[in-house]
Amino acid sequence: MIHNRHDIADIIIPATTDHLGEVRRFISDRMRTCGCNEFEEHGVILAVDEACSNLMLHAYQNDPSKSIALRIDISDTGIDVRIMDTARPFDPSSTTLPNMTSYFEERRSGGLGILIMSRVMDEISYRTTDNGMNELLLRKKRRP
Amino acid sequence: MSTFIANASHGSRGTRVISLGGYLDAHTASDLEQMIERTIGDGCVRIIVDFSDLEYISSAGLGVFMVFIEQVRSASGDIKLAAMKPKVFTVFDLLGFPVLFEIYPTVEDAVGRFPEPSEA
Repeated sequence: MIHNRHDIADIIIPATTDHLGEVRRFISDRMRTCGCNEFEEHGVILAVDEACSNLMLHAYQNDPSKSIALRIDISDTGIDVRIMDTARPFDPSSTTLPNMTSYFEERRSGGLGILIMSRVMDEISYRTTDNGMNELLLRKKRRP
Repeated sequence: MSTFIANASHGSRGTRVISLGGYLDAHTASDLEQMIERTIGDGCVRIIVDFSDLEYISSAGLGVFMVFIEQVRSASGDIKLAAMKPKVFTVFDLLGFPVLFEIYPTVEDAVGRFPEPSEA
């Protein structure tokens, strides 16, 4: 159990999908250091992977000259992951989530990343920072 | 680097068993897509995916099965999923995939759900 402390760590990675493993390891290492349980860890890894995958594939088209910055802030009340980029502004929290009944009926594929994020995290919010970056905040509460 | 392994082998009842290992994500999903495409191209629509050694899956991995399910079922085949670790099953379950896909505890269970080729 962590008391009255924050563990904050940052990483910057190239915006290509071959770096997704590095993203997952970064989140996993920090959460294990802070005593998070496996259930919390898997959910946060999944949400961050989905957010980064969307940026890499759709915002940056796997361009290795672009990068994504991540910050994880773990306290005894919650886990906050901030994902920052300089691509065209896009607010994932404002998109309409797919209805899975019609998704299956229509045999659609793709477009499930934001739904996964919303199901495993407690809060998703987006803002443009003072220096013009996109910042996506993924928050998971920790239960005592 | 995301490590991902996919191997295909012939199973009984005319099935092809695709065994997965490692991490199936937005980087590696295309490897699986190509393997299933080749399998169908070879004329096999009885596909079993063995998840025994798969440690992780994201929505990109789930999407691969959606791409092919209609094609194989319209040819009287199926993609049956087997032997998932709990962490992997959680992702399928989270989005309701068990409604569309049959998921079995073992590869043998999945093979047994296909009729003998002569009965088909």
